[in-house]
Amino acid sequence: MAARESGRVKEAEKRRILDEAARKRRARKAVEALEQDNFHEDPHADLVMSKKIPKFADSNEKPTRKKKSKSAEYYKMRFRKTFAQLVEEDAAFRPDPPNYLSAQAPPSNFPDRHFCAVCGFPSNYTCIPCGARYCSVRCLGTHLDTRCLKWTA
Amino acid sequence: MSETSCYILDNGAYTVKVGLSSAEPKIVPNCIMKAKSERRRPFIGSQIDECRDASGLFYILPFQKGFLINWDTQKTVWDYIFSKECCPVNFNETALIITEPLYNFASIQEAMTEIFFEEYECQSLLRINATDLAEYHYRKKQNNQCTVVVDSGYSYTYIVPYIKGKKYREGIRRIDVGGKVLTNHLKEILSYRQLNVMDETYVINQVKEDSCFVSQNFMGDMEIAKKKVSENTIVKDYVLPDYTTIRRGYLRDVVKPDEDLEQQTLRLTNERFSIPELLFHPSDVGIPQMGIPEAIIHSINSCPEENKENLLENILLYGGNTLFPGFRDRVYNEVRSMALDHFDVNVTLAENPITYPWEGGKLIFRDPEFYSFCMTKEEYEEEGKTLAFERFDI
Ligand SMILES: [Zn+2]
Ligand SMILES: [Zn+2]
Repeated sequence: MAARESGRVKEAEKRRILDEAARKRRARKAVEALEQDNFHEDPHADLVMSKKIPKFADSNEKPTRKKKSKSAEYYKMRFRKTFAQLVEEDAAFRPDPPNYLSAQAPPSNFPDRHFCAVCGFPSNYTCIPCGARYCSVRCLGTHLDTRCLKWTA
Repeated sequence: MSETSCYILDNGAYTVKVGLSSAEPKIVPNCIMKAKSERRRPFIGSQIDECRDASGLFYILPFQKGFLINWDTQKTVWDYIFSKECCPVNFNETALIITEPLYNFASIQEAMTEIFFEEYECQSLLRINATDLAEYHYRKKQNNQCTVVVDSGYSYTYIVPYIKGKKYREGIRRIDVGGKVLTNHLKEILSYRQLNVMDETYVINQVKEDSCFVSQNFMGDMEIAKKKVSENTIVKDYVLPDYTTIRRGYLRDVVKPDEDLEQQTLRLTNERFSIPELLFHPSDVGIPQMGIPEAIIHSINSCPEENKENLLENILLYGGNTLFPGFRDRVYNEVRSMALDHFDVNVTLAENPITYPWEGGKLIFRDPEFYSFCMTKEEYEEEGKTLAFERFDI
């Protein structure tokens, strides 16, 4: 019974195919990851840093200027805006091209090239369930065992 | 106002190039870093040189997608830079040239004006694009009319045509591939294929710098990189730093297993050239944009007919990515193949691709009209921030 059931699960797994939306989501996530600054946690996150303890750069010596310097925290609050907000604002400030958005290079006129998702060499085959590229039976095996439908975006 | 020197701050998203025009520029990381090995303090800018063990460094950057977003981080780095520890300055006596990204957003521009006049009490300020400084530098040396400036930096690559010293805005092209994308992609593929290095941005960035090159024959190099080790002229091992005996890793030939010195290595084959290749084919990682040579042609084609010939003759490259061996030759060959036969093509790699705009700042300071490009504190107090939008062509 158990064996038959797991066999059935396996069959279902084989027939599972990532739909177009899921493939696009996966591709977008991969591009977004290329923008990330860190992939791990702040190693000092458990320390009580920043606000109460003066940053040592400030404490070493007083600036030569007489005026009291405003803190980094002040400017964080004063100029707080996200990238998305700034792009939106820019559309109002510079509504007509040329502007930030219009400067973006258009798609290439050369055809896309395809590389094996496992080894990076040119590939001729497409994985049916997920659309990833592979170059050989060996790489397909690695792909099915490690990625393919294993993680969903 | 002392006129013997000014302070030049090329404020990049990855490094700041800074110094008095009378001295040599310093290159300072524009970030705060935290190390696993040192829990008592973060490292600001060049303080990272004091860090014994740079494994697992955590980065806090002022820039996101090429724009100054995190002002607390930037203020902390600037305070460090202006202090005795790094590159001290008295803005009461010294004019400041500071660079900003192309199409810098209006509220960031306002913040820049405010912080330098009010917080740092500058007397004279020139806010300018790094590409403007590079173009000025090139024009003073070449005496040419038109230039295409290619700035391939950390956050993106910009292609900016200049006609008679002025940006031709319709021709500006941005490719969203820079050094950060390259390092992150290298991290990703190495982590999947060999060893989890997702936390090792600092080290893998060095792997990239020490190992990668721009291929002149991509499919041919793919064939070579596939061969077995004895016939493979591309495969190398990268010895990783262990921070006891090795502080910076290095590339070496593959050795026989019995000669192995028990060092931790990464085996590099197609990684060596498929990483810089993203600058030429962003679509290889799913970024639907032209590569650099195609975008140069696209940019020039949007310029007035009578300037095209001169633009093709004066293509200038600078920025960290232009340091990859083979970068200039590949750009030249591809632009040559796409340009009309009867036009000459000239591609120049800046003599120092990192500090070329900074050196341009030095030259612009000697321009007889320098102070007319600047805005003074009095002007700021009388006319406010709106004047800055008229004066500076960002
Ligand atoms: Zn493969
Ligand atoms: Zn698959």
